[in-house]
Amino acid sequence: MTNDEPKGSALYEVLKGIDFERRQLVGKTTRTGLFDLVKKKDGSYRCYSCTLCERTCPVDCIELEYCPEFPEEPFDIEAARAAALATLPGESCGAASACVMGEAPAQFVPEIDMKLLDPVIAGIRSGSGLVEALHATQEAYGYLPRKALESIADEMHMPFSRVFGVASFYAQFRLRPVGKYVIDVCMGTACHVAGAPLVVEAFSQELEVPVGGTTPDGLFTLQTVNCVGACALAPVVRIGNDETYGRMGPTEARRLVRRLRKQEVA
Amino acid sequence: MGAVNKPGGNGRDVARAKSISAGAISAPARAVRIDAALAAASDRNAYLADDSKTEIRICAGTACHASGRVALRAAVGKALADRGLTDKVRVVETGCHGFCQQGPIIVLRPKGIFYPRLKPGDIDEIIETSIVGNGVVGRLLYRHPGTGEPLALENEIPFYSLQRRIVLGLNGKIDPFSLDDYLAHGGYSALAKVLKAGDPLGVIAQIDESGLRGRGGAGFPTGRKWRSCRANPGEKHYVICNADEGDPGAFMDRSVLEGNPHSVIEGMVIAAYAIGAENGPVEGYVYVRHEYPFAVERLRWALQKARERGLLGKDILGSGFDFDIRINQGAGAFVCGESTALTLSIEGQRGMPRGKHIRTAAQGLWGQPTNLNNVETYANVPWIINHGAGEFAALGTATSKGTKIFSLTGKVVNGGLIEVPMGVTLREVIFDIGGGMLPGREFKAVQLGGPSGGCLPASLLDEPIDFESLVAAGSMMGSGGMVVVDDTTCMVDFAKYFLQFTAEESCGKCVPCRVGTTRMLEILERISAGLATVEEVESLERLAEDVVEGSLCALGGSAPNPVLSTLRYFRDEVMAHVVEKRCPAGVCRPLIRYTIDKEACTGCRACFTACPSGAVSGERKSPHRIDQKLCIKCDACRQACKFDAVRVETGVLSLAEGRRR
Repeated sequence: MTNDEPKGSALYEVLKGIDFERRQLVGKTTRTGLFDLVKKKDGSYRCYSCTLCERTCPVDCIELEYCPEFPEEPFDIEAARAAALATLPGESCGAASACVMGEAPAQFVPEIDMKLLDPVIAGIRSGSGLVEALHATQEAYGYLPRKALESIADEMHMPFSRVFGVASFYAQFRLRPVGKYVIDVCMGTACHVAGAPLVVEAFSQELEVPVGGTTPDGLFTLQTVNCVGACALAPVVRIGNDETYGRMGPTEARRLVRRLRKQEVA
Repeated sequence: MGAVNKPGGNGRDVARAKSISAGAISAPARAVRIDAALAAASDRNAYLADDSKTEIRICAGTACHASGRVALRAAVGKALADRGLTDKVRVVETGCHGFCQQGPIIVLRPKGIFYPRLKPGDIDEIIETSIVGNGVVGRLLYRHPGTGEPLALENEIPFYSLQRRIVLGLNGKIDPFSLDDYLAHGGYSALAKVLKAGDPLGVIAQIDESGLRGRGGAGFPTGRKWRSCRANPGEKHYVICNADEGDPGAFMDRSVLEGNPHSVIEGMVIAAYAIGAENGPVEGYVYVRHEYPFAVERLRWALQKARERGLLGKDILGSGFDFDIRINQGAGAFVCGESTALTLSIEGQRGMPRGKHIRTAAQGLWGQPTNLNNVETYANVPWIINHGAGEFAALGTATSKGTKIFSLTGKVVNGGLIEVPMGVTLREVIFDIGGGMLPGREFKAVQLGGPSGGCLPASLLDEPIDFESLVAAGSMMGSGGMVVVDDTTCMVDFAKYFLQFTAEESCGKCVPCRVGTTRMLEILERISAGLATVEEVESLERLAEDVVEGSLCALGGSAPNPVLSTLRYFRDEVMAHVVEKRCPAGVCRPLIRYTIDKEACTGCRACFTACPSGAVSGERKSPHRIDQKLCIKCDACRQACKFDAVRVETGVLSLAEGRRR
């Protein structure tokens, strides 16, 4: 950057990294281009699944695909349908969704017991809000299964996309089942200066999962939490809701995982 | 009385009609009725907290809980049962005592003997010496951080003696599960006083006069907020308590809710009366973080008790005023601390702030006039009513009145929760109350106000703490997080941490915040990796200013503060990363190396055992070495070494040095 560039060109700084590329669909003659999701440099989508586009689209050509197993593909644009609409205004081609995700791997989709949802539905009827209902659902199942979200949407007479939009907005709601031990590493300021990033990394290496991931054996889920308010004991690690470990280091973290693993084998 | 608070109806006409009918009962008769109701609310048979009786007070705050208070409570119960004292000595599990660094804590009344860092094994000796006998267990006492002399009494300890506890006053005294404890200490007398006077505008005038300002961060005058909410017409008015304490490193709201939930409830009822009485129906909400399960549990219990005793719900204390409070739990979104996002979240939507051309006082929850205050603000209200606005205004500075709670954390000796009058200096807080830095470490900066605040260097330690001077110094009061860092913290990394936080928590609605913070973070990452150029630092600064200007809500508007204050006070350190490719604090990974000092290493193999990647090699009893290619810089070896032989080096190696390695 040269010095004589006008001041205030920060907008350029903001925009220069965004990928504005608009791709043509191969083999289709269209009058307009097709919209696609913008990708980040690392190849993942920038889409937040905020559902704004789904709600705004006047011709309903955007549909939310709920696939927590593939969080990197949050949306599917019905490409074929959109292309047809672009060439033949007012008519739908009726093509099926261009979903490329296929079936979800079996081991992560446990059957859910809809009876557990009854108290939640009862709660909604007695006037509890959506966030409260989602909390209750998560307490019952440990995460938010799609079927449960659909029932809640029906019960509250709102589109599924709105329920999903709320569920995906709040950090505490999980869309995937968690492991037996949920490890919450506090990333509050006091914990950060006391070395929490090293602790997270040690957990991540020992468990061989990234933050937010669950081990394949379904035992551990690694998460970070913003502040548990036990700053005097920094860095703090919480397992489940009750056990709190203070003054952790990378070595203690590894030891803790090994101990829990041993406990499980025994 | 029936006409008061009839639902429906709009605005002033209804209010006028009501004030006429409220006059139907004479003031003295009203007062007698309220006094009788308050007296009936407390259960006379209950064992009341009393400073003059023998009592064992165990801190049940989150930090003490994490350091083992459950086992401690069991040990106390057993020790008392062994001596047949179970019925004679009351054991109270109180809210947070504030001295979290020393947990778990026990205080023995009536003398006030303070025992820190206890283990269940110590309890027997304490009961024998201090409860059965009349002495103290010398070896377990707290020692003065400077002189090392043992201090037996709670009020002798500088951590406590230098504070002024208005809001936290009852925190270490009462059982949060006991409404009677709170009533015995004058609880709900402020509410009775307000209801007896029957003058809502008088209450607002009193709050105005006290100079109370919002404790959530922005410092908006509370009285003015109440007045404007009251003046706005609506079918219903809402009174909301913001307990969505999202700032990492701040936990005062949680401690107040856990230790003394009734003070917040009382404050809210008074606010509701001031805003809603003679003005249509009012409804209350407490929006509390889901991460605080204890606080939710205790608040729920307190609300239930208050309802049972006629202090909440229909016809409060026989005055004809109706008000009830519901709990609404957040779900882990920092932005929901913002007023418009919070109301949307209660409505069950995504918590995305809107423009504030219409304030929540005019259109908030469900489009109705809404008054939103922080936990600490409400907890101050009963004290002001009881002691008078003048006494409150006598504390603090010209523009900032009263006290403020800070959570002092980081690299200080005595971390914890402290309440001090506004206007004390940072030095007094950190060095007198906090006991200064950990041994051998040097003060570098103090971070105030969480991700929206800024870092202040040592040269500003004598700055008084009030709303205006902190903003002028490039920081802010915020909710009161105070994180002290020493020379082992890298300021670039610290700023990066906060920006990472805000970039992640940005709701994504407006571009300057969503994209701007991400771009700023990228530049900071390049700085900490030693890849950035001087020009990039300049564009970081300009971008930061644009994000402040262009963001929709306070989250984006204050997100660049940590970066701007770092560039203002610690530019040298930033430039060391950029120009010399060196991290002076030895934190930024791409710029550091772990090496072993051959002189200091004894060959004990502690680092060898700790190393997860097999980078340490060497024979027993001979100096070890670290293979830089295998080293993942996880710091495990440095923490394991007892001889301080693992060193962190930074900067570019000279060619000769590199070859030697």
